[in-house]
Amino acid sequence: MSTSSDPRPPASHVLVQFCHADRQYEPLDALTVRYEVQGLAGEELLAVEHSVLWYTEGKGEEDLGVHFFERIVDQQQLPSANAPGGFATDLPSSPLSYEGVIVKIRWCVRVRLFFVGGRDFVSEYVFTMGQLPPARMPMATQS
Amino acid sequence: MTPTIPATRITRPAPAANPFATRFTRPGMIAPLDRAGRPIDVPALLDRAIALGPLVTIEGPHGSGKSTLHIALVRHAATQGRPTACLRSTSASDVWRMAAALGAIPRGALVGLDGGERLPPGAFVLIHAMARLRGLVVVATVHRPMRLPVLARCHTSPTLLAAIIDRLPSHGGRIDRADIDEALARHSGDVREALFDLYDRFEQRRR
Repeated sequence: MSTSSDPRPPASHVLVQFCHADRQYEPLDALTVRYEVQGLAGEELLAVEHSVLWYTEGKGEEDLGVHFFERIVDQQQLPSANAPGGFATDLPSSPLSYEGVIVKIRWCVRVRLFFVGGRDFVSEYVFTMGQLPPARMPMATQS
Repeated sequence: MTPTIPATRITRPAPAANPFATRFTRPGMIAPLDRAGRPIDVPALLDRAIALGPLVTIEGPHGSGKSTLHIALVRHAATQGRPTACLRSTSASDVWRMAAALGAIPRGALVGLDGGERLPPGAFVLIHAMARLRGLVVVATVHRPMRLPVLARCHTSPTLLAAIIDRLPSHGGRIDRADIDEALARHSGDVREALFDLYDRFEQRRR
């Protein structure tokens, strides 16, 4: 999923590669991510934020936890058309990804681009940590 | 330094998100729409709020889009360089907490007050006086007329709910118009509850 706080359709997008092609990780695994920013079309980057986080998804209140975060402002370290970006971290032991009915826990990598003109753009890529089986729908009871 | 990893491509799609989850549907995630599903002209409404001030209301029943609209107004005011603040009332006893908060907000700010219906009617006399004294414009959400200038009245319809769903991530054809009509009717026009209903239907159909 990609979102932007600017109503204009984003011209750029981020292509992410995980070190595990199936995006399946175990707790404490090393996570290495490489990404390319495509379609910059002359727009100049001001900063980039990398984060690895989990969040809940469901009908009620939401929760999230940021496991890894860094903000890159050094122009020489910012990604460009010719220089892909990347980052690495060791995953924690919990929480495990969970595909529940009422609530789900998802892990994701986010790359947020800040442009000189004030626009920003977020790309989010979900991955799985652990192997919890998905919850089953409760069967309707018959009276 | 950029880490070196094998040049692999993603081979497995991420699990599909439920497009009716709170993270996609909470107030502020979707631009405010009118009963016919058309975008509301927020800049024009902000101008009107400033002209009508210092205390105006957005009226409507539960789940009719009041919070969505007041958040859009606050955000737009912020983009115009105006100081902004959001307050949320959770009980009738919040009157003095509200008054203290209004006293601390910068002059000229646009203040969104969500949950105004929970305050006793007399509270609006105090809020009005505070807003005038501080040069604020307060936009309060309420369920019923409060003898205050009305900035907007929120109403829902199946067309509005369908337009909201069009702006959510794809449901992959798991929800049809009959679901939308039924969900909204079951919850007496409350869009928030109807979206929760559709969350459940989506879960049932994708498993």
